[in-house]
Amino acid sequence: MAVGAAAARLESFSYDDDIVRKFLFATLLWGVVGMLVGVLIALQMANPIFNIGELPWLSFGRLRPLHTNAVIFAFAGNAVFTGVYYSSQRLLKARMFSDALSKFHFWGWQAIIVSAALTLPLGFTQAKEYAELEWPIDIAIAVVWVAFGINFFGTIAKRRERHLYVAIWFYIASIITVALLHIFNNLSLPAGPLKSYSIYAGVQDAFMQWWYGHNAVAFFLTTPFLGLMYYFMPKAVERPVFSYRLSILHFWSLVFLYIWAGPHHLHYTALPDWASTFGMLFSVMLWMPSWGGMVNGLLTLRGAWSKVADDPILKFFVVAVTAYGMSTFEGPMLSIKTVNSLAHYTDWVIAHVHTGALGWNGFLTFGMAYWLAPRIFQAPLHSKRLMEIHFWLGTFGILLYVAAIYSGGVTQGLMWRAFDETGRLAYPDFVETVMKLMPMYWVRVAGGTMYLAGVIVGVYNLLMTWRARPAAYTNPVLQAPPLAAAQGAHTSTGGFVSLNWHRAWEGLPLTFSVMTAVAVIVASLFEILPTFLIKSNVPTIASVKPYTPLELAGRDLYIREGCFNCHSQMVRPFRWETERYGEYSKPGESVYDHPFLWGSRRIGPDLARVGGKYPDLWHVRHMANPREIVQRSIMPAYPQLEQKALDFAGIQSRVDAMAMLGVPYGDAVKAGQASAMARAQATELAAAIVSQGGPDGLADKEIIAMVAYLQRLGRDLKAATTASTSAPAAAHGGQ
Amino acid sequence: MRTAIMSNSGLSAYAEIALILFAIAFVGVLWRVFAPRFRAGYDLQSRMPLDDLNPQEPRPRGTES
Repeated sequence: MAVGAAAARLESFSYDDDIVRKFLFATLLWGVVGMLVGVLIALQMANPIFNIGELPWLSFGRLRPLHTNAVIFAFAGNAVFTGVYYSSQRLLKARMFSDALSKFHFWGWQAIIVSAALTLPLGFTQAKEYAELEWPIDIAIAVVWVAFGINFFGTIAKRRERHLYVAIWFYIASIITVALLHIFNNLSLPAGPLKSYSIYAGVQDAFMQWWYGHNAVAFFLTTPFLGLMYYFMPKAVERPVFSYRLSILHFWSLVFLYIWAGPHHLHYTALPDWASTFGMLFSVMLWMPSWGGMVNGLLTLRGAWSKVADDPILKFFVVAVTAYGMSTFEGPMLSIKTVNSLAHYTDWVIAHVHTGALGWNGFLTFGMAYWLAPRIFQAPLHSKRLMEIHFWLGTFGILLYVAAIYSGGVTQGLMWRAFDETGRLAYPDFVETVMKLMPMYWVRVAGGTMYLAGVIVGVYNLLMTWRARPAAYTNPVLQAPPLAAAQGAHTSTGGFVSLNWHRAWEGLPLTFSVMTAVAVIVASLFEILPTFLIKSNVPTIASVKPYTPLELAGRDLYIREGCFNCHSQMVRPFRWETERYGEYSKPGESVYDHPFLWGSRRIGPDLARVGGKYPDLWHVRHMANPREIVQRSIMPAYPQLEQKALDFAGIQSRVDAMAMLGVPYGDAVKAGQASAMARAQATELAAAIVSQGGPDGLADKEIIAMVAYLQRLGRDLKAATTASTSAPAAAHGGQ
Repeated sequence: MRTAIMSNSGLSAYAEIALILFAIAFVGVLWRVFAPRFRAGYDLQSRMPLDDLNPQEPRPRGTES
């Protein structure tokens, strides 16, 4: 009787694999594009002639964000969606909530990627790493993400499986947290159709950015991929994860700890010391759950290691999980202040992220893609041998890349801090420390090319598998009882009654999601709010004034060309830094910097104190052809700045936007005043350049704004400390 | 004004309270994960990825294997 009643309540459904196929194709396409750009910018680092034809849209400063955005949001993003759409339907025993929302998510996300691929090379950027896209695209991202969220949570609501498997937990945390991170870090005031200024300034902007930046790594590149690992590894080895209980502990530990770790990106900067110490402590604590997760992944293969030798899919997974272990060991290590003082601003960090990106994200994606292909294309994999070749090309590519770039990072870090026996900098010429890296940069090109070659082999293999698909895919109809009816049946048995309270708790995705959100929000607020609200954290400096309208226009050009990708503006309080650059940076210096431009890598020297260091003409010539001034420089040339007219008319709206953000611009906000002030300063500066023996007719060209901006950097502090002398400020820093 | 109020309002103790609450929540998670009485449930749930066709729980009565 009972059997008959249950059978009568069975529901029929099928999985939507079409959307999985779509996302997989997008993953492969953007993977190749993103990595191709990666190889191009690696070449540009090895030799500046690869800034092809001095075309602005192909220069390093504009392509580097294109590379990072393409591999993170286009390649890894589409890979996550591929796996989430495949695994969630099966873990929840339900078709996606809405096929229309699935399609909207897919096409919306691809449209965002295309707009990124167009706007970034054209120089439209917010200048915040991994959050470069301008405000209209940010709004589109939020809309598409919310659609994805509705579709995902809607599927959970209509699921036919009581318990939410741990992979789903990881997806939930990712969806909620990425939404929060994206919205709060990208709050900005538009100053034009594709131009905006962050509502935060200086220290606060830096804090928000790296709260976002680190958690983008955590909740876009780690937690969703862990969800994929906990689903696809058991699938591939056909046995459950080693310890399901450990996986739950892994989840909660990451959610509790990750969100605090961001400030480790700002050690020894003008960020308050308590915040960076906090970030360090939580980062070190992260080591334990991360390795718990890695061990859990690897031990899932217990008793099945013989399969690894034979199955390249498992090889991809083993390398991926090992790379996860390596980068999550290295991350906490790099967050220790002493280690960070050596590694920060060097290629060590670049090597670290590529262990994670190429090894963990890349190899997990390809392992998953090879496992999925025969199932979603309903044809046997085209070639196991090609899969094996892909694996080895990729593995050796990663090894070459990271070995070279690790040594490059350590080498340069040590050279920056070296003193000779007389107590002076051993390598005072910055370019010397760059030249030392050239052999490593060429090895990186080789390693990156090998990895890309492997990917191309993989794409070919997967496309050939797709070509062998049947004329029409079969889509089996499944049957299961609806959750509500079956739950009623269980309660009536009495067997589970005593555990009903927690069954209800873990079965309620809303409660679960709220708890995750609370953990993330509470942690964020306790860390971020004091920097915003407690005065002593950002002491002001009376002599620091807003940029003039012309300097502001120059700053926008500096942002457009992506100069911040290679030049920091943050001198740390070490003797080797103050000797090289000048007085260390203070929090009060960047109170008008919307956005902050502290940078994260020094491929060129720090510019925080460059104002007044060289004559105006030096900058004009250096921008036109860096190698005319510094023979071995690898900086791209910007001759077009001398030809292109400066948009004086557009300056007013930018000054007005800054004023709305609280920057005291005084008379400059009166209609037409800003451009008039800019013209006056430009005329004066152009005359000075002519008097130094430079070319005439630069007063209305972009270069004049750029020079005005560069010559302003660090001048306010000098005005405060050395009022009576024009000599560079004495270095007072030191450890 | 806003910063002055916040600076003088002695809110720093709340960070410590939050830390304690987080620690308690974490102990709760530990208990929930490792208490022997829940073990059987976790063993069942760990098998969820292996069956794409049938829910682990609930199953229609009479179809449990």
